[in-house]
Amino acid sequence: MSARDDEIRRVVAELDAHMAAVEASVAALKALLADDEVPGQEDPS
Amino acid sequence: MRVLADVTGENLRLWRESKGWDVPRMARELRKAARDTGEDVAAHHGLVKMIPQWERGGRAPRERYRLLYLKVFEDMAGGLSQSMAAGADLVMRIADIRSYAAGLPAPDEIRTLEAAALAKPRKSMTPAEIRARAAEAIIHLREVAAKIAELSALLGDDAVGEVES
Repeated sequence: MSARDDEIRRVVAELDAHMAAVEASVAALKALLADDEVPGQEDPS
Repeated sequence: MRVLADVTGENLRLWRESKGWDVPRMARELRKAARDTGEDVAAHHGLVKMIPQWERGGRAPRERYRLLYLKVFEDMAGGLSQSMAAGADLVMRIADIRSYAAGLPAPDEIRTLEAAALAKPRKSMTPAEIRARAAEAIIHLREVAAKIAELSALLGDDAVGEVES
C-alpha cells in the first residue's frame, strides 16, 4: 500500500469522526425538539 | 480472488462493455442472476436507471447488487489483483463518504434547529447547551468540508463532493 493510500485512509478516518460528531449534535437537537417537556409542567406524581 | 470491493463504478462499466452489453441487457443479466438465487431486485426499468448511476460512481450499489455483479462477472472479477481490490475498496469507501456527507444538514439548517430549540425551553438542555451543540455541529461540518477538500486534492479530483460551510 502506498503512502498516498495511507494518507487517504487517514483523511477518510478523520472525515468519519467529524461526520459522526455532526450527526450526534444534530440528533441531540432534534431529540430536544421532539421532546415536548416544558419546565414547570412536570408530572406531579 | 473474488472480492466485493472490486465492484466499483469503473469496473462495472468496463465489465459490461467488455461483454458488449448495453444497459438494458445488463439489467436483464442482473435480474436473471437474482432469479437464480431467488432474490428480489428492482424492476427492469429501475435497474436501467440505477446502472448508469452506479457506473458513474454517483451512487454505490448496495451489497445485494454488488454480489449480483460478482455473480454475473465471476470470471472477470476473479482476475483482479489484490492491489486493485484494495484500491477499489478505497474508491467504494470514498463514494460512500461522498454520499453520506451530501446528506448532512447545511449550517443554515443547524441554525434553524438551534432557533427552534431555543424558542421552546426544556429542562433537559439549557439555552447555553443548545447553542454549544449547534456551534459544535457547525464546526464539525466545516471540518468535513475541509477534509473533503483535502481528500479531493489527494485524489486529484475536484468532484469528490461538496459540503456547504
